[in-house]
Amino acid sequence: MPRHKLIASESDVSIEVDEGKDNEFSLYYVEVEENSKGGKEKQATRDGKRRRARNGEVSRRRASEKRTTNMANKRAEKKHEKHHKTTRKEGERHRKRQRRRIADEEEAEEESSKEKKNIKNERTKTLKLEDEKEKDVKKKRKKHVKNQEDDANPGKTKQKDCQDVPLKEKKKKRKKPETTSESESQSESQSESNSDSEAKDNQAVGVLGSLTPEELEKLKEAVDERKKLITTIKGKPWPMKKKLVILRESQEFVEKYEGALGKGKGRKLYAYKVLMMKKWMKFERDLENFKTACIPWEMKIKEIESHFGSSVASYFIFLRWMYGINMILFGLTFGLVMVPEALMGKPYGSMPRKTVPREEEASAMNFAVLWDFGGYAKYSVLFYGYYNNQRAIGWLKFRMPLSYFLVGVGTVAYSYMVVIRTMARNANEEGGGDDTSFNFSWKTFTSWDYLIGNPETADNKFASITTSFKEAIVEEQESRKDDNIHLTRFLRVLANFLVLCCLAGSGYLIYFVVRRSQKFALEGLENYGWWERNEVNMVMSLLGMFCPMLFDVISTLENYHPRIALQWQLGRIFALFLGNLYTFIIALMDAIQLKRAEEEIVKKNMTIWQANLYNGTVPDNSTAPPITVHPADVPRGPCWETMVGQEFVRLIISDTMTTYITLLIGDFIRAVLVRFLNNCWCWDLEYGFPSYSEFDVSGNVLGLIFNQGMIWMGAFYAPCLPALNLLRLHVSMYLQCWAVMCCNVPQERVFKASGSNNFYMAMLLVILFLSTLPAIYTIVSFPPSFDCGPFSGKNRMFDVIQETLETDFPAWFGKVFSYASNPGLVLPFLLLLVLAIYYLQSTSKTYKRVNMELKKKLQTQNEENKKKNKLAALKAANELEQARKAGEQRSNSASDLGVNEESSSLDEAGHHRQAGQNGRLIHPSQSQHAQSSEPPVSSTHTTTRPPASRSHTASGHLPGHPQQPQKNSHSNRR
Amino acid sequence: MLQSVSCGSRKFRIWSALKMVSPAIALAFLPLLLTLIIRYRYYFVLLYRAVLIRWVRDCLTGLSREERAFQYILTHATPGDAQSILDTFDHWCSKVEFISNIGPKKGKILDRLLQEHCPITVLELGTHCGYSTVRIARSLPIGARIYSVEMDERNAQVAEKIIRLAGFDEDMVELIVRPSDEVIPRLREDFGVERLDLVFMDHWKRCYLPDLQLLEGSGLLGEGSIILADNVIFPGAPNFLRHARRSGLYEVRVHRAMLEYIRGIRDGMAELTFLGIK
Repeated sequence: MPRHKLIASESDVSIEVDEGKDNEFSLYYVEVEENSKGGKEKQATRDGKRRRARNGEVSRRRASEKRTTNMANKRAEKKHEKHHKTTRKEGERHRKRQRRRIADEEEAEEESSKEKKNIKNERTKTLKLEDEKEKDVKKKRKKHVKNQEDDANPGKTKQKDCQDVPLKEKKKKRKKPETTSESESQSESQSESNSDSEAKDNQAVGVLGSLTPEELEKLKEAVDERKKLITTIKGKPWPMKKKLVILRESQEFVEKYEGALGKGKGRKLYAYKVLMMKKWMKFERDLENFKTACIPWEMKIKEIESHFGSSVASYFIFLRWMYGINMILFGLTFGLVMVPEALMGKPYGSMPRKTVPREEEASAMNFAVLWDFGGYAKYSVLFYGYYNNQRAIGWLKFRMPLSYFLVGVGTVAYSYMVVIRTMARNANEEGGGDDTSFNFSWKTFTSWDYLIGNPETADNKFASITTSFKEAIVEEQESRKDDNIHLTRFLRVLANFLVLCCLAGSGYLIYFVVRRSQKFALEGLENYGWWERNEVNMVMSLLGMFCPMLFDVISTLENYHPRIALQWQLGRIFALFLGNLYTFIIALMDAIQLKRAEEEIVKKNMTIWQANLYNGTVPDNSTAPPITVHPADVPRGPCWETMVGQEFVRLIISDTMTTYITLLIGDFIRAVLVRFLNNCWCWDLEYGFPSYSEFDVSGNVLGLIFNQGMIWMGAFYAPCLPALNLLRLHVSMYLQCWAVMCCNVPQERVFKASGSNNFYMAMLLVILFLSTLPAIYTIVSFPPSFDCGPFSGKNRMFDVIQETLETDFPAWFGKVFSYASNPGLVLPFLLLLVLAIYYLQSTSKTYKRVNMELKKKLQTQNEENKKKNKLAALKAANELEQARKAGEQRSNSASDLGVNEESSSLDEAGHHRQAGQNGRLIHPSQSQHAQSSEPPVSSTHTTTRPPASRSHTASGHLPGHPQQPQKNSHSNRR
Repeated sequence: MLQSVSCGSRKFRIWSALKMVSPAIALAFLPLLLTLIIRYRYYFVLLYRAVLIRWVRDCLTGLSREERAFQYILTHATPGDAQSILDTFDHWCSKVEFISNIGPKKGKILDRLLQEHCPITVLELGTHCGYSTVRIARSLPIGARIYSVEMDERNAQVAEKIIRLAGFDEDMVELIVRPSDEVIPRLREDFGVERLDLVFMDHWKRCYLPDLQLLEGSGLLGEGSIILADNVIFPGAPNFLRHARRSGLYEVRVHRAMLEYIRGIRDGMAELTFLGIK
């Protein structure tokens, strides 16, 4: 009979025994109650005796426990129960009679112990009540159980045993070969000692001590075991259902009995500690959840990732990152420039630059004007021109011009820093080398996220894992495919040629439009309609929208892997946008030159106007108070900085509008039409012609990047730009998330975008550089307008630094600075910097190489190990073969049974060989042992074969000598 | 006079409106146009071949497309040889004009199905020119029978000629010139059909679903009967597919393929295996 069956039957038996005893003790109950009518007072006096008796029993039991292992003990008890059930019952009846004969004391023993337990429980209960009222109910239930157990005092351990059986079964199975024989041999003596001790219970008189420490110990052990089980349940090779059931059971068990552990005073503390621990763990878990919830849009992005793959998700992650950057830019400009000016600067209408001029006043509040950021919007903190050149404003003595300049520089510096830092971090993550050797194994064994608790999320995760598998498979296929190389090359060249043509065409179109708009501007924009005025923006937006589509179509010619295709696509759109942007900037430069020419004229006129003003009104008296002219009437320059800022703001607005309208028309309306017209159309709209749109990752990413570039360019002249951008990003996050989930379908060729993040970053860096160039150029080369902005009246904008150094810092500082800026110092410093950079770069290169080598070494080692394992497995198989032959030769004379055995062992050997070839090394001696230790079992039961033992204790025999270990195992067993 | 003036003024207004939208903006739409043309070029080719050429030829010759096809086959194919007739058909459809037959590639799927199941009674909805009828008939076992339903009189005449040309007699191919929704409920009474082993649908895509429901109601479908529907993806029969998937009566397989005689347009055939009414 196989071992586990034996155990099962044992446990069954023990349960039966327990039930029988319960009946017996219910008998006791009746008797005790009869006794307790008269002997209530006596009980108190008897307590001592009873305690002593119990202690005696306990001490003896402890002694016996020391001799044997706990497991053996239990099994022995069970064995004992099984074999000596009837005899024991008789013995107990005998005891009963004895007790009756002596006095009520003995008969009431069980009852009193129960009472004691009650008292104890009540005490714990009250303690608990102080701690926690929740546990009350559980406690009561527990008490109830306890009582029962106490009633069935001798049977209690067994009851626990049978609870433990499912848990310990495994261990027992594992330990079987060593323990069974021992336990069987010990069971006899153990049972005898047990029965002895129980028989001696009556006479036992011990010392005063604590209450039933044995039970407590056992309880503690059981609880510890459960706890261990709970922690290790993940690693158990059981089906999920079983795991769940066992987990729940053991959690309940621990919950139930944990509080009762600990002694006397410590118990309260212990229970409290446990409680606090649980609370703390729960709190930590909640905190973790809260943290995840705090990451903005995390759930949305995860959901999208699960449906659309990581490439689409990477766009949204990038968007979120961008949002974070813009948050900081916004904080800087808003907190250090706009708010101080609005709060502490001169109010609106106090100066000409802060007032709407007289001729514009009529239309200053019109929506069309405001929408174009003219009128009141132009003469507000939103634009450069509003700021005053007063050195310090308000009671804080806030250095406004300096702050304006430093914020302008600081935003750009911060952006550089962040982009470069992120790039460096991503580069670290990439690590170099190919990690694809065990791609599918990695995916299979590590993709599941065990923290998922929500069924919907689990579904999503499932979908996402499936998607990632698809991605991996597509990638694998792509890497294996080979085509006609000449044709593909030709097609690729052709595609690039077409794209170049397209780029040239779009560049010419923009150039044409810009020239036209300059003509319009010269003639005066007021004579033209909305279309003419917004022509440049319109054309740029439209080209930016449609050309990528064309590129996409062209790129199907090239037959690249999707990820490489994405990069090409990104590069092309990048070139397109860059061309558009720079055409726009060149046009702006021209406009600036025009405005500056106009400014010169205004300056001249200004002096004439002033002279006229003074001459006309005050001909002779120069000491008269200055004539007050309303600031709106003062003539003023064109203020090219505000114009630049306005242009950028308009560009951003039109760009945003285009994006949203495209989203609504191209995605939403299309999806609605496809969905609802499909029922009454003559072909399948969903699958056929219009179908649903796919999410265009490259176009969106580049749109985002160029948008950011415009922000960087324009933020110096329009401090409101970061705020606008923040708004735009926020809205587009929600809008695009919604649009993706509701109107787009996943790409047909899903692929992952792990490598493209750094690509985005690199592009962002390039754009940052390219967008700071014109801004720096304008700052350095053009003098600021004479009558608007914080730097008015200065020769150059950066003079504000010099001014601050001269006036706000002590003289020595200026001196030090002038020394430091001496070329003799600066040049060596720069040289040093370059050297340091070179050194660091070369070191990092070396490290990288070393890393690669290490990786390679590891891989080769791994492969070698594999080979070795294979060889070893083969060798083992050969040896087995030999052994089998030898065994056959010897067993030719033996019975049929032995032959059967050999053949089955041959099967097993074959299995092992297969396993070995799969890469896992199975030591030959082990497999040998596995098959050779079985025969005694399988010779009696040929149908069922228990799992092979994995113990290393008996593996000392040599392979090729199957006879010897058989003997060993025989001797072990008997 | 007045009318012409008003017409002229309207023209002017339109022209000014056009002028208001600058040519640059109009040019910016050029990439979109190009994209659409390139992306859907196959559909434009199909439009050209299936509609424009047909219309021109109809005007020039005064014959219907099917009759032209028959003339071509009569002059180019070997009578009595089904394979030759099919080949000539394919050649005509791919090189000369376009007729939406089942085509050689999807025809292979059909042939395989026929070989696998050896149906005795076949119902074909939509004979058109008889291409698919010939295709089915040549791979049927002896004693099997095709009921071919065609609504259009002229097409049916052409189809009958082609079928006879291929050498199949009336015992094997029964041509029914009536709309399919009238034929299906009367199949049992008029033609003594007890059970249909294979139903091939290639008529109006709109009629797929009602005809399928009629077939279900008629009780002619037994367990294991196969319904093969062509062109379920392009032009497409979404309702039919949805019903087939959701009703639970069928085991649905969609064979993906390309549209016949045209490159680059995806199409599919739906193979429905009737599981029996539970």
